[in-house]
Amino acid sequence: MKHMSALLLAALMLVSIGTRAQLVIEITQGRDNPTAIAVAPFAWQGTGPVPEDVAQVIDDDLARSGQFDPVARGDMLGRPSSQQEVFYRDWQAINAEYLLIGRVNVTDEVQMRIEYELFDVARQTRVLNGYEEGHVNEARMLSHRVADEVYQQLTGTRGAFATRLLYVSVTRVPNGKDYFRLTLADSDGARPIVLLESREPILAPSWSPDGKEIAYVSFETSRPAIFRQDLASGAREQLTNFRGLNSAPAWSPDGNTMAMVLSKDGNPDIYLMDLGTRRLTRITRHYAIDTEPTWMPDGNALLFTSDRGGRPQIYRYDLRSGATTRVTFEGSYNARPRMAQDGRNLVLVHRSGEGFHIALYDMETSRLQILTNTELDESPSIAPNGSMVLYATKSGDRGILAAVSVDGGVKFRLPAREGDVREPAWSPYMSR
Amino acid sequence: MRYISKALIANGLALAVGPFCIAVQAQDYIDVEAERAAAAETQPAGRADPYGAKPAQSYPTTSYGIGAAAGTQSQSAANNNPQANMAVADRGGNAGQLLLQVQQLQQEVMRLNGLVEEQGHEIRMLKEKSLERYLDLDRRISLLSGGEAGAGLPVMPPAGSAAVEPVASANVGNNAPVEQPGEAQAYQAAYSLVKAQQFDGAVQAFQQFLRDYPAGRFTPNAHYWLGELYLVTTPADMEASRQSFMLLLDLYPNDSKVPDALFKLGRIHYDKGNRERAREFFDRVIQDFGTSRSAAVKLAQDFIRENY
Repeated sequence: MKHMSALLLAALMLVSIGTRAQLVIEITQGRDNPTAIAVAPFAWQGTGPVPEDVAQVIDDDLARSGQFDPVARGDMLGRPSSQQEVFYRDWQAINAEYLLIGRVNVTDEVQMRIEYELFDVARQTRVLNGYEEGHVNEARMLSHRVADEVYQQLTGTRGAFATRLLYVSVTRVPNGKDYFRLTLADSDGARPIVLLESREPILAPSWSPDGKEIAYVSFETSRPAIFRQDLASGAREQLTNFRGLNSAPAWSPDGNTMAMVLSKDGNPDIYLMDLGTRRLTRITRHYAIDTEPTWMPDGNALLFTSDRGGRPQIYRYDLRSGATTRVTFEGSYNARPRMAQDGRNLVLVHRSGEGFHIALYDMETSRLQILTNTELDESPSIAPNGSMVLYATKSGDRGILAAVSVDGGVKFRLPAREGDVREPAWSPYMSR
Repeated sequence: MRYISKALIANGLALAVGPFCIAVQAQDYIDVEAERAAAAETQPAGRADPYGAKPAQSYPTTSYGIGAAAGTQSQSAANNNPQANMAVADRGGNAGQLLLQVQQLQQEVMRLNGLVEEQGHEIRMLKEKSLERYLDLDRRISLLSGGEAGAGLPVMPPAGSAAVEPVASANVGNNAPVEQPGEAQAYQAAYSLVKAQQFDGAVQAFQQFLRDYPAGRFTPNAHYWLGELYLVTTPADMEASRQSFMLLLDLYPNDSKVPDALFKLGRIHYDKGNRERAREFFDRVIQDFGTSRSAAVKLAQDFIRENY
């Protein structure tokens, strides 16, 4: 009932704005000493209107990482687009450490080519050059790829800007059934596409390891069922329809098996489904609740949440030995594990005193670091390069997405323009 | 949501609703968890009982032989509500009663399971820690008694040497403490206990030494060794150790053991989970003594590289 005013507001916004839930990024905390980089506007060499402000997309990506402090365009003393036009003194004067320039062209009306060059201003040398090509409709994705290359050159870590997000947005309808929308967007929240709209809940979206398919739980058949959906064709397939709970699908790293939670044999336990034969293997058998499976990157073990010790904690199931061992001991509550690709950093929802926070658990040193200071944080999802954690939290009465770097140093929020947003899932690296 | 909760309750799984719901919607899980925590506070033995009215342990303990703690709980429950207790006992053959009993046993086993897991973990951690501390101390002692004191290591008189060389000649001239009669012998006696790994005895000996020689030439060393020893005695006393090292820093800021004490303080704060405070100490070792040849500088650098 206390959400009433928010619901009304959401309903009014629904009328005025429409059904899209675009995410807007606000950086709330950056690094102490970010690298100053100038991204000069890229020269447009085609005809007609510019399809996309490529430099701005790159600029925003780098700023959002928290590791860069892009120079404002108004401060730039020149707009070079080729090496001959670069005067290092102009950029030293505004304290830019690096300079990115580029050219954009479109041929045959659809084929887009972005050429870029990165200069080290202090050393007065070119440190990177290259190009990206693709369909003009993918202009933003091509720009993200340039940002990935620049990020990798300057930080040594592979960039994860050319990736995508899945999330569920909920539009509240007072005195009626809510709208649930499974949405796919770029890593910066742009270009949202609604993949599935339903008046029944949609939950637990997750990615196939090649980033071409997704799985989720939908209540559209009146009971929870697991679906898989091909992103390119939109073809979907119902994988389970068991009595009771069907939830938390998690693709194995080789893409052949799906871990899931079923309660068909009593209470929730973890099962593996061979996606080729559809054969099910039950891997936990306990009267406690076992849920939220996630795979270790080597595919030899699963982590899951269980309250077999009286309170929810993370356990590890070894697929070769069949042994189950407890992983987390710190705090009264650890749940919803998600493993980074390095097999070392585990993100989870943690509670020790007040509130539920996102924490990072180092599997090697057994150290737990709390990353967030908001109260009701949930559903962490880690970027494929392991640098940022996306999670759902509350801002006022609304559910929003927020992100924090794995060292806790950089934070930004992605509030939706309307409705609640929850259950984010960061894609793996996208194959080209 | 509501549908699932009902289904669960019907299956006699209401206690487990919390963790289950996170798969469905985390927010609800949080609410349930909070309620459960609140319920646990007000009714420690009962947790969230799906059947509401009855206390969780309302059976005569003698016939179940659960642990002493559970016995006390059920006794108090029985005292609080003797009528209900009788009524429950009368319906002992009832199938629903059996189901309830099974659930309660499951809850109890889960709680105990958690306890065993946590204690096993605690023991593993303690073993690792005490081994690490012992190795650290052992390494330092063997370095010292190997006569390598000249190589810039913390200056320590060689064991058994009657004629003790002046410690930390740099101190001479600025309030250098003066050796008291009998002090060297008392110090050596205490130090030999460290070498013999009789740590409890060594603690007492150094404490006695500090009472006898509160301002002697070896007093800073005694503070230092007490700091080390509090970490290796069982149980380890990190706070006492911290105080000993801090005393050394406050009273003898120019002593040759200061870099080592700073490093150990960093380690103590790190083990207590205070990474930032620990880092300050490590940085101080490197910043203040980086040009000296103190072994603590390298230890601090190595530790930062491995843990930060």
